[in-house]
Amino acid sequence: MRGGRSLRLRDRSPVHGLARRRLGPLEVVAQSVSGAAPSAAMAATPAIVAASAGGGTVWSFAIATVLALLIAGCISRFTRRMAAPGGLYSLTAKGLAPGAAFACGIALLVGYGLLAAAALAGVGAYLDALLARSGLPGGRVVVTVAVVVVGLLVGALALRGVRLSARVVLLVESVSITVMVVVFALLLLSGPAPGAVAPVPAAGIGGVAAGVLPALAAFIGFEVATALGAEARRPFRSVPRAVGLTAAVSGVLYLFAAQTQVVGFATTPGGLAGQAEPVLTLATARGWSWIPALLDAGLIMSFFACALATATALVRVLFSLSRDGVAPQALGRTHPRFHTPHVALAVALPVVVAMLAVPVVSGVPIGVTLVALLTLATCGFLVAYLLVCLAAPVFLHRIGELTWPAVAATAVIVPILLIVLVVFVAGSRPAVVVLAAVVAVGGVWFGWLRLWRPDRIAAIGVYDETVAEDVLGQAAA
Amino acid sequence: MTAPVPLSGRQPRAVRSALAVLEEVVATGPGVTAKEISAALKLPQATTYRLLNLLVGEEYLVRLPDLKGFALGRRAARLAVPVVTTPPTAARAVVDHLRGLVRWGVHLASFGSGQVVLVDPDPDHPPSDAALLARYPQVSALGRLLLAEQADWRALVRELRVFTEHTVSGTTELAIALDAVAREGIARQCGELRADRGCLAVPVRAPDGRLVAGLALSGPAHRVAEPNPELVELLREHAERLSPLLG
Repeated sequence: MRGGRSLRLRDRSPVHGLARRRLGPLEVVAQSVSGAAPSAAMAATPAIVAASAGGGTVWSFAIATVLALLIAGCISRFTRRMAAPGGLYSLTAKGLAPGAAFACGIALLVGYGLLAAAALAGVGAYLDALLARSGLPGGRVVVTVAVVVVGLLVGALALRGVRLSARVVLLVESVSITVMVVVFALLLLSGPAPGAVAPVPAAGIGGVAAGVLPALAAFIGFEVATALGAEARRPFRSVPRAVGLTAAVSGVLYLFAAQTQVVGFATTPGGLAGQAEPVLTLATARGWSWIPALLDAGLIMSFFACALATATALVRVLFSLSRDGVAPQALGRTHPRFHTPHVALAVALPVVVAMLAVPVVSGVPIGVTLVALLTLATCGFLVAYLLVCLAAPVFLHRIGELTWPAVAATAVIVPILLIVLVVFVAGSRPAVVVLAAVVAVGGVWFGWLRLWRPDRIAAIGVYDETVAEDVLGQAAA
Repeated sequence: MTAPVPLSGRQPRAVRSALAVLEEVVATGPGVTAKEISAALKLPQATTYRLLNLLVGEEYLVRLPDLKGFALGRRAARLAVPVVTTPPTAARAVVDHLRGLVRWGVHLASFGSGQVVLVDPDPDHPPSDAALLARYPQVSALGRLLLAEQADWRALVRELRVFTEHTVSGTTELAIALDAVAREGIARQCGELRADRGCLAVPVRAPDGRLVAGLALSGPAHRVAEPNPELVELLREHAERLSPLLG
């Protein structure tokens, strides 16, 4: 041993209690893919992007994919070196000041919480559509009951253990993506509706740039695997791969979906823009009456997997905040048999269900609720991505491993994310109100912590440290 | 997704550099930083970081809690052939005492290296081939003690080879068997390696609870399958006596 350096290793990880080193690489990838839920975005996002980008829709998706890959690159600078159940929050803490890490934690809670609620809303909305299509009684009460039941199922699976829920997610998401790919491939092969090609007005660079906004929003949740750092078998290999692969696979799926829909509406005046349900319109025009029901089923499955994956990540962020001494201590407890943060789950899940059930019961259509929840969740994710990308080169500098590509990636992505965030928030009045409220609550919470627990707040960023038994020769010493 | 490129062995410099990095960590001792390794080996920094992250990803190296320093990971133990060290005389006396009391084979194995290493096999009842026991830990009672202790046992079981019709051949079945071992504190295998033989093993733990060795009885498969409460009691008693001697 070198002079002056002593090995001070803990006997157990500060995040003990979770099922350490259990998940295989495929299960980790499945979590991330489900978090991004590409099936749902494949059906809905191209039309939204086309509203701004027109003929440049595919380009908007291509740019968004590059941005997502850059964000994945920044995240991987951390995940190749450390494994943390707190996801981006714990990673940010290793680069930036505690205040910024705390802000990232709040942003992640908002992002995962609202995305989980939005996913449950998605299950409800498409269940409603499926019931209406098959002539069964639907309506607000049935949908609300169904959503609460699905919420309970998500809770039960998330509690029962990370391996079971990862496997359920893997199965459900693979089926859902397969359904979507088959439907889109059929549509692409059958070409546009007969008739002369209607010219789509060129959108120009401004339109393509505006289209990047909704296209990037289609990727949110792709970093969910970071929250499984402590539970993955080879985390330094499988987590960065899962996040990068999800960005790439989702990007390819979106490009494919966008191209299919652009081609499909090539003969329709106005093109893809302005289509409320483009995939259904395309299928109906071809007389494929079986497609709508299949699509609804695929989307219900995808939203279900998304709810489970994001709930899993949400409770791990809460768990980490608690182990950091920032949130109440009880939230950091884990179930003795299932090794999951059961108290955090019991607290978070009712809030998630309520965020969706309250507006629906009080008369807001479920589709509107879904869009509002997604918009707000996106704001949370954008803040978290911005902070983690900013933290990456600072972290590398701190540990003495800074390289120029890391600086370059941050220099490119941070200004873009900042612009996207500002435009995104400015574009939605409710988002401004809700975000202001979140900032106020977060500020008071942080002020209280600074006043009463300055030592805890200075040391936040708990992660799955190397413990004595991981180091050769230390365990036997 | 790209298909894995078949290993061509055409990157001799990368392999040589990776081995040099490992050697440097051993030579300098735990806590050495990436910059220091890069300077000592005259490797470009970016290359050094990439190799270090690769070796950490494979768990041959670990990052210390400051995230700057490196040390050898537990997996690095598998690079060396475990040295068979003769246990202390007092420990051998305990094992011999048990041999005098039972008509079964009595074996002592050390787990210090992360593998099953027979340190005191019964001379009158020779155990199965040591290399076989080290390679297929899941088919021996001693190996199951070792696996049951590790959450990531799947990484240690390379091949679920079938030796007899009784061999456990599925990961799920094995997981159930290992859960039972962890719960009951005793491992058992009846005719899974050789159809007519079986063994029972109990853990020997250091006073701080660490698993250091295993004490096994081997005998006819049908006798191992019986509950044998007195025999198990005797085995546990001797394992207890070995604890302060080996821990």
